[in-house]
Amino acid sequence: MSRLVKKSPSVCTDLPLDTTDSWKKLRVLLQLLKSCFGPKGRLKLLHNSIGGHVVTTSTSSVLLSAISSSLPLINLIKTSILNHVGRFGDCGLFAAIFCLTLIEQSRQSGLRGRAAAQLNKHLLDLCTVYLRQEDCGCKMELGFNSSHNLTTLASSIISSKPACVLTQSEVLHMSKLSVQAFLLTVPCSSTGVKLGETVTVPVEGPPVKHSAVFPGLLVDMPDLLSLDNAKRPHLRPLRAVVFSASLAGDLSDTGDGVIEVHEGEDTDSQILDRLLELGKQVVEDEVKLFVCQKVVHPVLQQYLRSQDVLVVERLGVALMEPLLQLTGANPVATLHTPVPAEAYGTVHDLGIRQFGSKKMLHLLPAGESSICTMMLCHRNATVLSELKVVCQNTEHVLRLTLRDPYILLGGGCTETHLATYVRHKVSGQLTETAAALGCSQEECLLGLEGFCRSLQSVAMALEHDGGSSAMDLTHAHHWILPADDMREEVEDTLGPCSCGLVEGGPNKPKTYLSTKTPAFSPGPPCADAMAQPRVLDSFTAKINALQVAVETANLALDVRFIIQDMN
Amino acid sequence: ILPSLHCSIVCVLESVILRCFGPDGGQVLFIRDTGQAMISCSGSRILSALRLEHPLARMVVDCVLKHSTATGDGSKTFVLLLTSLLRTIHASACKEPNVSHNYVSRYSAEAATGRHLAFKTLEFASEQLENLITAAVIPYGCSLLWEYTAPTAHLQTGAGSRHVQKLLASFFCSRLSRSQCDFATSLTCNLLSSCGFKGAQPSSLLQFLTDNFPTLHTRVSGFPFTCSRLVEGQVIHRDFASFCPPNVKVLELACGQTSIVDFKAWAERSLSCVFANLQRLGISLLLSAVKQSPAVLSLAAQANICIVECVSEDELTLFAQLNSEERVMVKLWNLVICGPGEGQTDQYASAILDAILMLLSAWQPLANTSAKATEKTLNDEASTCFPTHPLAVSEPGCVIPAGGTFEFLLTRALLQQRHKNSGDSDIGTSVVSQLLADALLTVPRQIYSCSQRHFLHTQDQILNFIKSHSHPFSLLSMDDLDCCGKASASLKVIEELGLESVSCKYQLLLAVVQCASRLLQVDTVLQTHAVLNTRSHRLTIYWLFGAEFMSVRNIVV
Repeated sequence: MSRLVKKSPSVCTDLPLDTTDSWKKLRVLLQLLKSCFGPKGRLKLLHNSIGGHVVTTSTSSVLLSAISSSLPLINLIKTSILNHVGRFGDCGLFAAIFCLTLIEQSRQSGLRGRAAAQLNKHLLDLCTVYLRQEDCGCKMELGFNSSHNLTTLASSIISSKPACVLTQSEVLHMSKLSVQAFLLTVPCSSTGVKLGETVTVPVEGPPVKHSAVFPGLLVDMPDLLSLDNAKRPHLRPLRAVVFSASLAGDLSDTGDGVIEVHEGEDTDSQILDRLLELGKQVVEDEVKLFVCQKVVHPVLQQYLRSQDVLVVERLGVALMEPLLQLTGANPVATLHTPVPAEAYGTVHDLGIRQFGSKKMLHLLPAGESSICTMMLCHRNATVLSELKVVCQNTEHVLRLTLRDPYILLGGGCTETHLATYVRHKVSGQLTETAAALGCSQEECLLGLEGFCRSLQSVAMALEHDGGSSAMDLTHAHHWILPADDMREEVEDTLGPCSCGLVEGGPNKPKTYLSTKTPAFSPGPPCADAMAQPRVLDSFTAKINALQVAVETANLALDVRFIIQDMN
Repeated sequence: ILPSLHCSIVCVLESVILRCFGPDGGQVLFIRDTGQAMISCSGSRILSALRLEHPLARMVVDCVLKHSTATGDGSKTFVLLLTSLLRTIHASACKEPNVSHNYVSRYSAEAATGRHLAFKTLEFASEQLENLITAAVIPYGCSLLWEYTAPTAHLQTGAGSRHVQKLLASFFCSRLSRSQCDFATSLTCNLLSSCGFKGAQPSSLLQFLTDNFPTLHTRVSGFPFTCSRLVEGQVIHRDFASFCPPNVKVLELACGQTSIVDFKAWAERSLSCVFANLQRLGISLLLSAVKQSPAVLSLAAQANICIVECVSEDELTLFAQLNSEERVMVKLWNLVICGPGEGQTDQYASAILDAILMLLSAWQPLANTSAKATEKTLNDEASTCFPTHPLAVSEPGCVIPAGGTFEFLLTRALLQQRHKNSGDSDIGTSVVSQLLADALLTVPRQIYSCSQRHFLHTQDQILNFIKSHSHPFSLLSMDDLDCCGKASASLKVIEELGLESVSCKYQLLLAVVQCASRLLQVDTVLQTHAVLNTRSHRLTIYWLFGAEFMSVRNIVV
């Protein structure tokens, strides 16, 4: 009989957003995330109370999953952002900062909950419609005939994570590698709908510049001497067989059944005999590479090696799928029937690659293959793990461009542009908007101001050195003015805007973002075809981040009561 | 038990519910014991999340849950109505304690009066309420026409389907945040119009959707709600264990028949024979309820057969049902529900399920009683007060503008009846009518809680509107294009207020009155401590008035 425990009553909180305590906590979270944002963002050291591993990061996915709060609202926001990052791999900090600022602005404006939520939703719809329009001023089409924009996109993502500790040239190197890896995983044949896979292998020690991308797979192999000693086979491609069942000679698949063994019967040797028979067949079929997901019996290994077959055991389930794709083999798990001919696969060649102290076996694909391996090198484990997260996110974002071949201007220019557009659009049709949403014009203006300020504050969060953010009055692009140059005439000597598309100059009037910004229709960037943006953002990820942020903020504003089950 | 205790218990529940009631209500965030967040506006979910201790409060929650699982709607109004009913009963019991009984204490006199009133109310509600609604409310309602039989006909076309849309919209307004209502409504309407049955009744479609909802929807987190959509076909919520992209020819259902029991070559050989057979049959997909061994997976890969393992039994049953000989469905669609987090997708999914449930119960006809009863209770004077109703009583799905219309109409009828009966010897009925009328009016008062003036204005508007139009809302269902003047006015009312189902309201009122009388019947709550074996059990026993044993609840400490 199990013991029944009485359930304790739940703890209730009425109007959670009205307490100063929760405000303080939300504000701390906002400050924390803002300070991590952008290429100049500050790093955070994460360690638990009992010591152990220390993580240096400014990535939202790592940071947010480490945060746990007693405030349920914070956990709610956190889950939403983490889910977004899990799907899109980018714009997590953007979504979090935007969401938190929007909550703050909406509360400060004193709007009724429902009115604020409806306004936010309406303004969001304006933004998404505008971003999807053909003539959107902050969007560019991504041409796949040149890798330039892809590399810029990759380098924008990599350089926005200062915890990777990369120099400018290292950032460029890593972005090129990311684009290369991405291109290798896109299958050439038009029939193949399935994208390939990049296997990441982190190596601690060698400098970042030693990182490389290889077509094919790199697998760990404890002793590679056998390859050196083996007579290199001349026949190409090499035949390979892949086992997914254990070849250790155990009885693994018996389930819950009971086995009765008669006296004098030696099951072990019977199984080993069977394994050797299998080995013999494989050798007869001229297999040169023998891979097993699990353990291979030492006697079988010995036999195969003596026959010049290369044995790779304990491959692990993670590498099985890419290996099967690479070789074109079918996994074999039946030991008592001969290996069918169609189960064999092929590799073009084998090689040995050495990285620092690590030696790995390189399997080269025989034909078309979309499997590649990315070798990541960095000085220590902390920065390496951050680099790994960043590279995987970059690959994810690059893949997203296949679905929506567009990119957004980075550096906060999209945010200021969008804020100006929304401001202009709504103030032009204030009466209609207010009537459609069932609120007064004053409420409409308050909500609009809060929304636009929140968008601008994301752009402003990019600066951490005390500089101030400004915006020009023609294209509504974003400029960062250094802290020590507050003179008026500094505007003349300013370089291009944050994304690099709009040139600075004496004839460009600007306004500080912290002051009240005027509403005007932002023009498209100058027709100068030579101007190339230096910073780009992912289109798909940012649109989703915008929507998730507004939906989460609306929800948080709408929560009137919290019930916590304390069992 | 002090008579005021009932009131104070339900008042606590009311204060929670009020936070998410009405047009300005918000949502409730609930953190489970596992730390998972759940967001809800649904009264029944909130009440069950509270984990209340007091036996009377738990009794109320049980009643609410029972009602809301049946109709999918009305749990918040339930609590409001119950509170105000108990309050009015208590107030009138205090005012005129029944002196004819010779009670010592004032409290017990009050309690006895309260019980008596509650009993009278229950009697009145179960005997006369239905007729009253039939006579006073239904004539002003309109029928929920379901105008499509073929899947080609879309919901947007007919007037009746617009009513369905409106009904859903008002329901979602009480369940989701305002900005999501429109999307949720159109999503549900699309689901209903897409999953068309071949000539089947709408109620059977709704029943099918309710029964199979878990398998008919997929929750995806990380995307905004607006990314939700319908996907044709059935979605199996599992990934391929072994995937070979072939052109699918035949689908086969294998349910746990292949698993290696024996360790022996024989098993493997027979397995290969099975796969050879499957291959010969041209099978390219294998769905299995259990996990398969690596041998099966590798043989399947060699035979170019895809395997999906650990498919839930429900999905397999539905799949088998849909692919059997006699196909019931024309098309099957899966509803993909997106939300930023699990809490949100959960909320959206349960709101949509409850909406379908609500439609189903709205579809049920209100009355099965004959018209004779109506004639008996309402004499000729009464029937001149009310217009003769054009709708047959048994016609399914009577809807009426929301926002208090039902309450205003019923209150008016109750007060008229009281006036009529005041000369009679039956004083009880008139008191009860007054009680119910007072209790009913709290609901619209809460809806327009922001200003009393707004409440009065709406009441006036609705009653005037009804007076000036003989069958104001029913016109719309017949054809709304011709009647330019009237229809546009009634359309405006419906646009403003939304729609609600009369039958849901009636069931709700009945359940509330039952619950109130049940509550007031409870005389004492005894907490006994009994030792059973070595374990200590605390038994909480409810004693009914008249020492009738009602229920025993074990709470093991």
